[in-house]
Amino acid sequence: MTVSSISGTSAAMIQSLLNLRGQLNDLTTQLSTGKKSTTYAGLGVQRGVSVSLNSQLSAIGGYDTTGASVMTRINVANTALNSMSTVVSNVKSAMSQGTNVSGIGGASQTQTTAQASLDTLMGLLNTQAGDRYLFGGKVTDQPPVESSDHILNGDGTRAGLVQLVSERKQADLGASGLGRLAVTNPTLSSLDIAEDAVSPFGFKLASVSSNLTNATVNGPAGSPADLSIDLGSGNPNDGDSLTLRLNLPDGTTSSVTLTATTASPAGPNQFTIGATPSDTTASLTTALTSALTTLGSTDLTAASAVQASNEFFAADANTPPQRVDGPPFDTATALKNGSASDTVIWYTGDSDSDPARSTATAQIDPSLSVGYGVRANEQGLRAMVQNIATLAAVSISTTNPNGVDLSQQLNTRVATGLAGQPGDQTVTDISTDLANAQISITAATTRHQQQTSTLQGYLDQIQGVSEEEVGTQILTLQTRLQASMQVTAMMYQTSLVNYMP
Amino acid sequence: MSLSQALISAISGLNTTQSNLALVSANVANAGTPGYVRKTPNQIATAANGTAVSVRTVSIQRELDTYVQKQLRTENSGASYATVRAQFYSQLQNVYGQPGTDSSLESVFNDFNTSLQTLAASPDDPSARSAVISTAQQLTQQLNSMTQSVQSLRSSAELGLSDAVSQANDAMQHIADINGQLAGVTTIDSSAALLLDQRDSYINKLSNLMDINVVQGGQNQITVYTNSGVQLVGKTASTLGFDTQGTINANSVWSADSDKRGVGTLTLTSANGSQVDLVQNNSIRSGEIAAYLQMRDQDLVQAQSQLDAFAAAMSSALSDTTTAGTAVTSGVQNGFDVDISGLQAGNTVNINYTDPLTNKQHTLTLMRVDDPKALPLSDSATTNPNDHVVGIDFSAGMTSVWGQISSAMGATGMVASNPSGNTLRVLNDGPGNIVTVNGVSTTKTATSLAGGSSQLPFFTDGSSAYSGAIDGQGSQITGLAGRISVNTLLAGDPSKLVSYASGVASGDATRPNFLYQQLGSASQVFAPNTGIGTAASPFSGSMSTYLRQVISLQGQNADAASNLKQGQDVVQSALQQKFDDASSVNIDQEMANLLTLQNAYAANARVLSAVKDMLDTLMKL
Repeated sequence: MTVSSISGTSAAMIQSLLNLRGQLNDLTTQLSTGKKSTTYAGLGVQRGVSVSLNSQLSAIGGYDTTGASVMTRINVANTALNSMSTVVSNVKSAMSQGTNVSGIGGASQTQTTAQASLDTLMGLLNTQAGDRYLFGGKVTDQPPVESSDHILNGDGTRAGLVQLVSERKQADLGASGLGRLAVTNPTLSSLDIAEDAVSPFGFKLASVSSNLTNATVNGPAGSPADLSIDLGSGNPNDGDSLTLRLNLPDGTTSSVTLTATTASPAGPNQFTIGATPSDTTASLTTALTSALTTLGSTDLTAASAVQASNEFFAADANTPPQRVDGPPFDTATALKNGSASDTVIWYTGDSDSDPARSTATAQIDPSLSVGYGVRANEQGLRAMVQNIATLAAVSISTTNPNGVDLSQQLNTRVATGLAGQPGDQTVTDISTDLANAQISITAATTRHQQQTSTLQGYLDQIQGVSEEEVGTQILTLQTRLQASMQVTAMMYQTSLVNYMP
Repeated sequence: MSLSQALISAISGLNTTQSNLALVSANVANAGTPGYVRKTPNQIATAANGTAVSVRTVSIQRELDTYVQKQLRTENSGASYATVRAQFYSQLQNVYGQPGTDSSLESVFNDFNTSLQTLAASPDDPSARSAVISTAQQLTQQLNSMTQSVQSLRSSAELGLSDAVSQANDAMQHIADINGQLAGVTTIDSSAALLLDQRDSYINKLSNLMDINVVQGGQNQITVYTNSGVQLVGKTASTLGFDTQGTINANSVWSADSDKRGVGTLTLTSANGSQVDLVQNNSIRSGEIAAYLQMRDQDLVQAQSQLDAFAAAMSSALSDTTTAGTAVTSGVQNGFDVDISGLQAGNTVNINYTDPLTNKQHTLTLMRVDDPKALPLSDSATTNPNDHVVGIDFSAGMTSVWGQISSAMGATGMVASNPSGNTLRVLNDGPGNIVTVNGVSTTKTATSLAGGSSQLPFFTDGSSAYSGAIDGQGSQITGLAGRISVNTLLAGDPSKLVSYASGVASGDATRPNFLYQQLGSASQVFAPNTGIGTAASPFSGSMSTYLRQVISLQGQNADAASNLKQGQDVVQSALQQKFDDASSVNIDQEMANLLTLQNAYAANARVLSAVKDMLDTLMKL
């Protein structure tokens, strides 16, 4: 390095002193702020990286916030689902108590339990996390299900389940109580059983099997179906029997077996062989009518209630409820579409065709989105509500002679419904889905923590300063500055002026 | 030789010593005067009658190295160019905020994105909705205020230019005056030397303002030219003129056409009255003036374009829908139908076709224009580098529109027709097989907040929609960052962030997801006038990567400007040092001279007294 000549005013020297002073100021700022620079220019070539890192960190922060709030929602939903399972098992045990142990008194008790359980279920389905309803699919700002009172008893002009069950019962039983079947005797020695109309209501003649000697059995055939039994050629023998199988509205079947007996009067489900086929026919007719009446007030009533409930709970915003086309109901031959103004639609959440889980999704990673939406009318939840509501909607009078049978029939159906068919969705399936979402979120959060610490470390390297390094630099600079200043001062002092006489 | 001769010599010695002493004292007194050049006497021995020898000072010598001086002037303009640019860039850096703090553009943008993430997770949450609106408003306000800052920097450049011009005029006038004063001077005495000093200092001043070339003429005259060869000062000074514009916004740019010019321009009026536009001729290439021009017309305009492109991409990403046409067959011809109703000015119909001869794909873009003055459009009207853009003027009714579209097709062999309503049908030429239509699509800007699709006019240009319209004045994108705002209808009803049509459930995340996806990861194309990407391959990337490029580029520019300044400072101070070594007053040297002069004076006086003694001795004889 060449030494420029020392003159009074050295521009370069002053410039370098100023530079040193400037550097010292910069370092002091760095030390006090902990940041390398207050502008992007000062960050050096990695300024662009710092922008990307900030954006990545901010996105990760966003994902984690989303994850945390979704986690809370899932926790709340899972708690609700667990409580629902408890409610269901309570109802199940109440049912077995009621039917098998306590007789007719137990029936009303079961109903009370069912009503209380329905209250709880509806409350649980209206669970909120924050202000958000969790079981309404995309509709999160209003309760997804009606109150249990509205569901059962209706709301003003909107009919509830109880009314639908009652209408359906009228339609299914018909005025005669024979389940819309007409039992007539075309001749004295023949019997005709016919459905009164082509309708979805009442008993449907499925098949008949008979080993009644001398009897000619035709049908069931035609539409509406018709079945005839002709005893014109002679009496049956003692012990011969006739079995009539009937389809019920809810898809179950029931059968009546009438056995010929010589005893008079005949026992239940028996008919006395009379002196002539005409007498026997009369006895068979009476027995059949009585058996159908009993079956009507037990199996058919239970099946009718279940079917009414099916129709009631199948409704949502896009699917109108199916109601009996009446009044009069007992002669109705078809169902009609109800509407939201005349029938309570129990589920008010969204009813689009997309899968329920996808109704609420959370992006918890750039490439990972978890679905945690639940609709209250999903199979698993609906089956629960529907069956318990059915139980609650059918009142069984203590004076009903068939009360216990009816209760048993109903309980059997409800229990089957609650257990579900193999392959049907259950509450546990929903819980599992939600738990899987939680696992994904937890895994993503853990991954994000690692990423954040790496990225933040990198960012700190770019934007931040190490205090030790800056401290050392300041010390070095201070020494250099002091030395430079001292030398400059010395130079200014050594002037010839000072030494002249 | 005689005693009287000795006396004369001694007296001349005394006189010369005295005047030299005066010079030393002037040097010492002016040691700190800027521009003062050390003076030394030129003394010669004079002979008279062949024998008498005396001494006299013939002229004053200015101690300077003219080569260094010339270099210094060049570096002066370079250094002030670098200094002004560094100052502007350091202010421009403040516009982008402090890295990592809440005030920086990236943080505000990230906040907006985070609020969209939150909204996607909780579409029904009113507070999440209003958070999106408020962070979006912060973002638009940030863009607005950044635009204001950039434009006020341009405005300072404009004022700086006006200042610099008056300084330059002052310096040029003085140089011409001094030229006049020196015209009759043949020998340089101390007053002439001082005039030279003054003239040099005016030239230095001028060299700070612009790059000049000084030509030394005879009779102490100089002529000053710009480096590009325009004469500034000769015997008379030319006058620089600058029409300062009071208000400067993104739309005020320099143009050769004075009607379209929104900023001032530099005119040089020479003594004979002829005028030259120095900006148009690019005559000034360094110095403060060049730096101001560079900042005002290039660098800051680019910074503004970057912000505008950011605002435009953000706005269009949320509002524009591209719909593919439906394939149709008409007789032997195949093609596509598109609906051109609802095209806003700036929206396009994009036709992709192949020419089987060369088997090359082409894109023809028809852009709606509402102002016939904008026609014809250049191919750079869209960001797509490979398309041919034809503007279709919609202001004269639909009949004219169909006609224009047909003639736009003309050369390609495709046939455009209007089978019904607003349907545009583009068909190939059938059996001729000159052209194959690969696809036709429309790009439209959504105008309704609940039009049934995820797109919505989230941001508006002031109170009107942003669709990239081009009119006679220019493109809508210019200065958009200064006008962009959150749609007031949306701000008044944040539920529209979720309900994209009537009856959409409150928890439906379709639209929030779309918004987040568009701003977070969807790729946008950015125009090359942002300085990022080129016309042939424009930059395409997400908003965030674009922001990264912008901040990177601006940081680099600022860094480069400051490095250039430091480099120039070093060069300039080294040269100044070199110049000072030769021409500045060195007190030590002057003091040494003083001692010499004292001695010389004493010696001459001694001679005088010796002559007197000898004369006395002679008289006593």
